[in-house]
Amino acid sequence: MAKKKVIEDTFGSSYKKLEVILAQLETEIEDHSLEEIIEKYQEAINLLKVCRKKLEEAELKIEKLSTEEDD
Amino acid sequence: MNSPISVSELSRDIKNTIERNFSYVFIKGEISNFKNHSSGHFYFSLKDSKSQISAVMWNSRVKDLIFIPEDGMNVLIKGRITLYETRGSYQIDVFEILPSGVGELQIAFEKLKSKLYDEGLFADRFKKPLPLYPERIALITSETGAAFHDFVKVTENRYPLVRILLIPALMQGANSAVSICDAIKKANSSEFKSEIIVITRGGGAIEDLWTFNEEKVARAIFNSKIPVVSAIGHEVDFTISDFTADKRAPTPSAAAEMIFPDAYDLKLRLNVTENSLKRQIYYRINKLKNELNSIERNYYFKRPTDLINEFRMNLDTILRDIKSVTGRKIRNVKNNIETNGKLLNSLNPENVLKRGFAIIRSEDKIITQSRQLKTKDEIQIRFSDGQSEATIK
Repeated sequence: MAKKKVIEDTFGSSYKKLEVILAQLETEIEDHSLEEIIEKYQEAINLLKVCRKKLEEAELKIEKLSTEEDD
Repeated sequence: MNSPISVSELSRDIKNTIERNFSYVFIKGEISNFKNHSSGHFYFSLKDSKSQISAVMWNSRVKDLIFIPEDGMNVLIKGRITLYETRGSYQIDVFEILPSGVGELQIAFEKLKSKLYDEGLFADRFKKPLPLYPERIALITSETGAAFHDFVKVTENRYPLVRILLIPALMQGANSAVSICDAIKKANSSEFKSEIIVITRGGGAIEDLWTFNEEKVARAIFNSKIPVVSAIGHEVDFTISDFTADKRAPTPSAAAEMIFPDAYDLKLRLNVTENSLKRQIYYRINKLKNELNSIERNYYFKRPTDLINEFRMNLDTILRDIKSVTGRKIRNVKNNIETNGKLLNSLNPENVLKRGFAIIRSEDKIITQSRQLKTKDEIQIRFSDGQSEATIK
């Protein structure tokens, strides 16, 4: 289930989440326990992997809207 | 077979033939004999150096014109050919007149521009923002055009994460406006769910780009729910569509650069982000370590042996103190004893006896005064070397 979610995440959404976590760690670090911070850090590292993978493996896809698709 | 037909019948046949074959024409020519009739219909001739055709534009269509035609104007006309049977003449039933000459185009351009400006179609408040990391975009262009190629090439290098839905459309000519409006409609209704619509074509003569100065194209762009980026012609070419689009890019390549982040930059940004993350987590862990260290460095935690040693030293001091105090006391006592011994010695009656004194006792009482004795009392006299007995006379 969790795996499925990672696949569905887009680069944009993953990158935005990453930025949010970084901002949290930079500004709210005193408010969290070490365990929470490590959890966030691990999530961020996973998001980094997702983003990098998407960038590395991206291949431009072009579809053509056929004129028969008229509705 | 040889029976003659009536004029009307012939006219009917000709009419049918002509009107079937010329149901849509797109013609360029010069306006002459222009008459703006009181009924609101326009009557004129369209001519070139060799020929001319009568034309009529009914008042219902005149209201859509963005300029008033004049004799001598070069125009493009969309319409159909109809036969007027009463006179046996044919004419153009004009749907639309577009300016063709540069001067006419400029006038029409300025007129439409100020009209749409007055309506507020260029206002910033209507400009929709573009998503930062688009996943899906619709590309309205000619499949065979250089613009399509340029846009795709830049996109491939820059942001291959995106999916492009190509919606082929005519980018110039009589049918292009309808084709583009239709493509915009399709992009908005498509299952593909584009986040951005890009309309692009390469450079060309002002007439070639004219479609993008047509009101219906400009309005279709304005009315699109999905933000539209218009990239028409070269940097110097501005069209009305550019003004109603949410963003204008000077060229097809520039459109791709404007819409998509650069994957190379993104990779660098990911590295920076990773470093920042590590710095944050190390900072936090180091901070906790420092807190632990400072607790550890606390005197009582850091050197328990020191503490014990100190206790030992304290004990030694106390012991030494005890020793010195008791020693002194003992010495004092000794001195006292010596002094007192001397004193005692000096008071020892034996020594007194040695000096010639004697102790007299009677009935075990020491006699210190003569009146204690009577005649015949028995007394014992104690000398230093012994005792004698005597009787008082």
